[in-house]
Amino acid sequence: MNQVLAVLRKELIDGLRDRRSVVSALLFPLLAPMMVTFMLNIQAERKRESMDMEIPIVSAERAPDLVNWIERSGFTVVDGPEDPEEAVREGDLDFVFVVPEDFAEDFAEGKTAEIELVHDGTKKDASASIGRARGLIQSYSRNLGTLRLIARGVSPQIALPVKIEDVDAASARQKAAHFMSFILVYVIMAAFMAGMNLAIDSTAGERERSSFEPLLVNPVTRLALALGKWLAAVVFSATGIALTLGSLVFALQQASLQELGINLTFSVPVIAGVLFTALPLAFFASGMQMLVSSFARSFKEAQTYVSLLIVIPIIPTVFVILYSLNNEWWMAPIPVLSQQVLLTEILGGETGSIFPYIVSGLSSFALGLLSIWVTARLFAREKIIFGR
Amino acid sequence: MIRVEDLRKHFGEVPAVDGISFEAPDGQVTGLLGPNGAGKTTTLRMLYGLMSPDAGHIEVDGSQVADDPQAAQAKMGILPDSRGLYPRLTPREHLRYFGQLHQLDGPTLDARIDELVQLLDMGSIVDRRAEGFSQGERVKTALGRALVHDPANVILDEPTNGLDVMGTRAMRSLIRRMREEGKCVLFSSHIMQEVSALCDRIIIISTGRIVAAGTPDELREQSGQANLEDAFVVLTGLDEVAP
Repeated sequence: MNQVLAVLRKELIDGLRDRRSVVSALLFPLLAPMMVTFMLNIQAERKRESMDMEIPIVSAERAPDLVNWIERSGFTVVDGPEDPEEAVREGDLDFVFVVPEDFAEDFAEGKTAEIELVHDGTKKDASASIGRARGLIQSYSRNLGTLRLIARGVSPQIALPVKIEDVDAASARQKAAHFMSFILVYVIMAAFMAGMNLAIDSTAGERERSSFEPLLVNPVTRLALALGKWLAAVVFSATGIALTLGSLVFALQQASLQELGINLTFSVPVIAGVLFTALPLAFFASGMQMLVSSFARSFKEAQTYVSLLIVIPIIPTVFVILYSLNNEWWMAPIPVLSQQVLLTEILGGETGSIFPYIVSGLSSFALGLLSIWVTARLFAREKIIFGR
Repeated sequence: MIRVEDLRKHFGEVPAVDGISFEAPDGQVTGLLGPNGAGKTTTLRMLYGLMSPDAGHIEVDGSQVADDPQAAQAKMGILPDSRGLYPRLTPREHLRYFGQLHQLDGPTLDARIDELVQLLDMGSIVDRRAEGFSQGERVKTALGRALVHDPANVILDEPTNGLDVMGTRAMRSLIRRMREEGKCVLFSSHIMQEVSALCDRIIIISTGRIVAAGTPDELREQSGQANLEDAFVVLTGLDEVAP
């Protein structure tokens, strides 16, 4: 036990003096909030822009009532370009309305008056604003139709046999949680990034410096050595998780979330819950990284292997986001995936049983410990000790 | 005291160590002499428990290396073939780390470290980080951490490798000093002068076997050569290869 502590202390001192280790531990806590703030600001900006959208209309004077209606709806009507198709194709405008010559005549006679919507169907990024513009005209049309039917003494319901009633089951908090799942990737990545350098340096680095043989001739079991090195990497990884979370919470509280309709509250129990769920990941991440690095003869080689390992946490995250997976019992013992699902749950504010949280934590710890046990066995192999 | 009995180790088809037996008694310096690739380092690696022999026994002060490597390692101070340092730690931290691994701590350990700093003349470097140390400074640090638990048996693999004249002289006087303290010193070398200057007993190894053993005088007698270097060449059979 004392020997494990001696190894832990030595590796921590060594790690804190290593610029690479410290930078990789602090990189995520510093970078993540910057990226989140950046992302949020772009979204907020976009939303604000779409609010005061300009509606370009060619020959607007032919449809004064429509123009009036659009302006009352809070949009600005501007004169359309001389060549609408050219303007849309060149990307100067997302869309242009063109009021044809016979619009006023048809309109006055109660016929269906046509209005042209000029747009480029290949430009996907314009589809949102086109949809809004289209909706604007459709609701004008519906509104007017209703008035005309009433004027002729007909109930408007006759012209509307079926109506869709939107019921959005997602609560505002769930929407926020969906948004948060992107942010949680940072916390999970931090678990892998922050301890990585130390895990490599204390295994492959030790071999590269040829300090491994002198270390192993001491009367210490290989398991005690591996445990001490593991715990040092875990300390770095856990610190990375906690700092990343702290800086994310700080950044999100500074950002304009309300404007985006996202309701995130970071109460103390929520933050404690996130830590309780995410910290066991440090044991798993560091354990796997040490196991993988033990096969490498040099720091660089280990870095290659471990970077590939970082892809692993991304895979389940992608699945959860793509298929909007809910928490299911079989996910609890799977590291990374279970943290991903459980963290989403906590931030969605609908924590159920504590059981999956305990299973998830214990499983990550146990799998980390198993990796270390295998690593300790590797430390006894002559090929690993002397192989160069 | 170290006793080695019929030690064998194969790497694939190649026998690296092929039936080596010897005793290294306390209060004496025993030298393992042999050309490069003779099996010296492999023998020592089995001795300090990092390689497992295919056959044979190794006993260090009554502890069997195969049964309880930790107990045997606790009785040995080892300067292995590779002697890498931690570039971000100072020699004092190296010594403290290894001392703690030997279950030493507190004032006992501090006192022992101070003693070694004196003995190895490390005063000027002891609190400097090891990054950029000269070869001599590196060997001193490696030696210091090997001796931090004041072992009764000292095993040195090519201890003067890479040392300059002054370093070599210091190493020799250290080895003599340890002999006077009654320690069992076992070291390997491929340099005849080195071994003849220091050793009470010389064991000559060639292609994994002991070809001769004895005091320097006995070896001269066995080979019929007046000069030890000539004796070495004759005994290892090197003269059959080189004209």
